[in-house]
Amino acid sequence: MPWGKAAISGVGASRQGKLEGETAISLATEALRNAITDAGIEKDDIDGLLTMPGSSSPEGAKHYLALGEHVGINPRFTGSLAMGGATAGALVQLAAMAVATGMANTVACVFGDAARTQGSKFDAAAGRGDSWGIWGMFGNAANSAISARRHMALYGTTSEQLGWVAVNGRRNAALSEHAVMKEPITVADHQASRMIVDPLHLLDCCLITDGGVAIIVTSPERAAAGRHRPVRLWGMGQGHTLENLGREDWWYLPHQKDCVSGAYRMAGVSPKDIDVAQLYDNFTIAVLLWLEHAGFVKVGESGPFVEGGTRIARDGELPVNTAGGNLSESYMQGWLHVVEGVRQIRGECDTRQVEGAEICLVTGRGMTLNTSSSLILGR
Amino acid sequence: MIDEGNKAFWDACAAGELRVQRCITCGHLRYPISTVCPECLSEDAAWELLSGRGTVVSFCIFRHAYNEAWRDRLPYNVAIIQLEEGPRMLSNVHGVSPDEIRVDLEVKVAFEVEQGFSIPVFERAAR
Repeated sequence: MPWGKAAISGVGASRQGKLEGETAISLATEALRNAITDAGIEKDDIDGLLTMPGSSSPEGAKHYLALGEHVGINPRFTGSLAMGGATAGALVQLAAMAVATGMANTVACVFGDAARTQGSKFDAAAGRGDSWGIWGMFGNAANSAISARRHMALYGTTSEQLGWVAVNGRRNAALSEHAVMKEPITVADHQASRMIVDPLHLLDCCLITDGGVAIIVTSPERAAAGRHRPVRLWGMGQGHTLENLGREDWWYLPHQKDCVSGAYRMAGVSPKDIDVAQLYDNFTIAVLLWLEHAGFVKVGESGPFVEGGTRIARDGELPVNTAGGNLSESYMQGWLHVVEGVRQIRGECDTRQVEGAEICLVTGRGMTLNTSSSLILGR
Repeated sequence: MIDEGNKAFWDACAAGELRVQRCITCGHLRYPISTVCPECLSEDAAWELLSGRGTVVSFCIFRHAYNEAWRDRLPYNVAIIQLEEGPRMLSNVHGVSPDEIRVDLEVKVAFEVEQGFSIPVFERAAR
């Protein structure tokens, strides 16, 4: 039996891309307005507010204060969380728990970032203090490059196989109303794109964009009174490896397996039940690891699975990132993955709709490959 | 950057030695440097001399300068080194080109002086 004690009743995105003059707060507000309309509720119905500060938000952990004041919400339940790409899922989980326990009736989860126009570089050195900078280890691509290199060495995974993940994202983005990058690409384009951190090319990397996303979580009963078919939270999971170098297999992100298996258990489903998957793709290698951790393929077999791009296509055996993901739709750090999951389950995705999509896995991961969250969405 | 907690590590590097902490309470050998043992939370530790030998778990090659100070070193590698005694370190493998570095390459520690600091890096181990 799926858990299902909370549901997503509304989703909203702001415009995405390079949006001069906007701020993290203005974009979060635009998204929240759209989510309220989508849910068919009034702003005053919201009694929970959970937020993620963007890279351009100066408030840090006090972000909820700034946003709450800006949009005039005095919630019964609130807070901010910063777990990178795992945050969207983790906040939806907190919202669902608040709703299920009665601590709140309707929770808005909100994110906004003006990363593009405000020049967020995502170039910080990781490690304790900035210690990895001593060895020139900067930015977010390097961890994933190290992960990809080891996967290549152990399993024969190739850069061309990673390229198919990029191609898949781009062809889906072409059908997404939010997508920033719609120009078709080929594996040859991927191979010809400049190397950023070897073995990752430019087209292995996510975009940097401005935008906002909001997600409304409420009880299934309240959601049923809304404008759309409620999308229930069937299962939820998290897993984390907080010690970067503490685990021998840190590069493989072993915690992601626990993250997804926890959600499967809660939902009472297995990989074969998943109709469509929104897999966090800060870099192409991330999708390969998720395919393995979520049990769609055996360890080491994700490269051949994505090769040719047919199995992960919209009409393939496991449609992946049907709106283009972080790589091509917009870099909303996984928030749009949740939105797309909801829309697929509602069946409102028009030309990119996956036929018969009833159960969707959404995953997120973040920081120095440390954190992960997963949601299983159903009806 | 150097403080009471990590001074022993950097002093050892200056003396050409790679030393990390061993917990006196539970015996766990740890790196990164920490004021507590991540196994048992004890604060009692001794600085143990390591062989400096290890293997490359994985690596990446920077071809884009995220930091101006590193621009003239491009392309350079950053590698995770599995130390023979157990812990892992992030470092650079010097003296091997981007085409030569490999997963499982055997390496040994070396020290490079940068702005007065002796920094542990690695080199290909002699066969």
